[in-house]
Amino acid sequence: MAATLPVVAEDDAIAVLREATPFGEASPVVLSRIAALARPARYAAGERIYTAGDAADDIFIVASGRADHVFEPEVGAREPLKRVTRGGVFGWAGLLLGQTRRLATVTAVEPTEVLRIDTEALVALLESQPQEGGQVMARFAAMIRREFAVPELLAQVRRLSGPLTEEMSSLSLTMYRLSLWLKSPRPYLMLIGFALFLGIWYLAVEVWKLPRFREMPGLTTVVKEWFSPSPTYGLSLYTEEYYKHIVVSVWRVTQAFFLATVLGVTFGLLLGWSQRFREYVFPVFEMLRPIPILAWVPLAIVMFIATESAVIYLAFLASFYATALNTMLGVQSIDESYIRAASCLGASQKQVFRHVILPGALPFIFTGLQISIGVSWFSLVAAEMVSGQYGLGYVINTSYVMVRYPTIIIGMATLGLVGYTTSALVRLAGDYLMEWRVRELALAER
Amino acid sequence: MSGQLAKFATNRAFWRGVIAVAVFLVLWEIGARSKQWMTPEFFAPFKALLGAMGFKKDYLPWIGAVPAPSAVLKAWIAVLGQAGYWQSWYMSFFRVMGGFFAAMLIGIPFGLALAVSRVAHGIGFPTFEVLRPIPPLAWVPASIIFWPTQELAITFITFLGAFYTIVINVLGGARSIDVRYFQAAQSMGSSRWDIFRRIILPGTLPSIMVGSAVGMGITWEVVVAAEMISGGGSQQAGTGGGLGFFIWNSYVGGSYEQIVVGMISIGIAGFASSELLRWAGRYATPWLRVR
Repeated sequence: MAATLPVVAEDDAIAVLREATPFGEASPVVLSRIAALARPARYAAGERIYTAGDAADDIFIVASGRADHVFEPEVGAREPLKRVTRGGVFGWAGLLLGQTRRLATVTAVEPTEVLRIDTEALVALLESQPQEGGQVMARFAAMIRREFAVPELLAQVRRLSGPLTEEMSSLSLTMYRLSLWLKSPRPYLMLIGFALFLGIWYLAVEVWKLPRFREMPGLTTVVKEWFSPSPTYGLSLYTEEYYKHIVVSVWRVTQAFFLATVLGVTFGLLLGWSQRFREYVFPVFEMLRPIPILAWVPLAIVMFIATESAVIYLAFLASFYATALNTMLGVQSIDESYIRAASCLGASQKQVFRHVILPGALPFIFTGLQISIGVSWFSLVAAEMVSGQYGLGYVINTSYVMVRYPTIIIGMATLGLVGYTTSALVRLAGDYLMEWRVRELALAER
Repeated sequence: MSGQLAKFATNRAFWRGVIAVAVFLVLWEIGARSKQWMTPEFFAPFKALLGAMGFKKDYLPWIGAVPAPSAVLKAWIAVLGQAGYWQSWYMSFFRVMGGFFAAMLIGIPFGLALAVSRVAHGIGFPTFEVLRPIPPLAWVPASIIFWPTQELAITFITFLGAFYTIVINVLGGARSIDVRYFQAAQSMGSSRWDIFRRIILPGTLPSIMVGSAVGMGITWEVVVAAEMISGGGSQQAGTGGGLGFFIWNSYVGGSYEQIVVGMISIGIAGFASSELLRWAGRYATPWLRVR
């Protein structure tokens, strides 16, 4: 059995804790309180520290020596054997949701010194420090997943009770991610990128006045105009007109997108589901598809008496192709054996459709919807530029005709912002509806 | 060749396709001629209903305003002999090629640089992502102001259309290369250049080809609208401003059959160029061919 060491200085214990992943970022105060809970222990080479199935009471942190950590096969860790050295943490099973037994067997390979911490005492301590406690638990979860290669499903740590609410723990997790991001070079490179782009724009147009750039609206002119309460050219954040254009464009895209989704998904499901329907209809679909949407503009104006319907029709058509095609591909991508298995188990046609075809095609449908919202904006702008009243495309074109050059850039930037927001919304909706798939991808580390 | 033909002749899907296209053309013809056959007194209540629903009374909604396929064919044959029509083809083709090759020339190295260097990715990608949601056509006025000739302005718009797609595809292709290839090459002592030349380049080639084919499609979309919005570029006496201008001119001139002729012409041009690129792509990446 473990022989208790005479004394381990508290400072040593803190140094060991600081090397352990979960406690690495903890403040000195919390560290010393955790160190006070730690009981040192020593194991001989070859001695078994605990066996899978034992009650999970203590957490172990290695101070010196080495131990082999071998998972039971049903845990499903990608690398079942892990060698733990100084700073390594094991015996964390007690921290997991719904886990009271050891998941692995640990044997000392050499004479090994460890610090043992009672799990419940540690949790109680962490609960008294909600902010830092949440961080330590989040780092435990990350460590279990990364260093021990345990699937994410199992690596769910217990939620701290007490004053720590769910929002706070997710907030602290976000803060932790944010601090990681800020420590990486990425945000600074991004700032350099933006600074380069805006700087070149500013210098080329307004300082150096390069030959062709001179005619373009400069950065400061555009920004001043955009944020001016009384804009020179009549359009800025403070004018009602600006929001009217945005609302009109968004409303048109919404109508077109909604219509294209309803019709496109239905049509695509039919194309994928029924071979006869596909063989009869798909050739015509493929014959019309190469005609660019924008080549439809004059014909659409002729076909629809109201320009409003013509503009919506153009935005709709672009979305419809993308949605229908992706839905069809989605249905075709479903493994035939799922359908056979469902039929063997006695599923009716309707049940196969509801429980196999629809969820199976969903990832492709959402890919299609993301493309669809993009192309919808793409053709809406063209349609608005050529015909129609109001809308961001109309703003850009009339500003050109009326020589209000800064307004052109305001229109373009607004279009980019609004377009990006709508695509992000579609992506969020997709992630929400397909949580199972997001989890699957995360498990596959993709 | 004759074997292939025989295969077609006995293929059920092929004949169903033929039937479908024929039915489509016949329906279109009937719908387009609704102005003629809806004259009898028999249709009066139907016409009243159309009027009540806010449509024009004299013909079927939407399809009735479209010229009939037979009339389109006639107009097409008439236009085939005109130099202006072929001039339009040439002008559009020239602009598409200019924009497309510029996009390849700049987009492929840019995409590869983003894929290879973390610093380049950090600096360049966020800016790229900020600009990407702005549709290429929104750039038309700014581009006309900036470029000295309309020709260059239209070519720039077509360039933008293809550029984003090509960069995204190159980047995605390079990202999807299996890490083990790099590890294997490094452990066997490859230099950075070798890794680039032997792994990254062939690894991204398929996505470069796919990106190009998609980009080519977008280029044709964009060139049409750019020509319409900018008024056709350097047109001489109303002819030869590109296919987009051909369509717009037909619309302004009221010859609706020619609009459809122009649409079909662009469809053929875009489809043919994309197919050509797909074929070239299959030729360039023989290891992906399914046997």
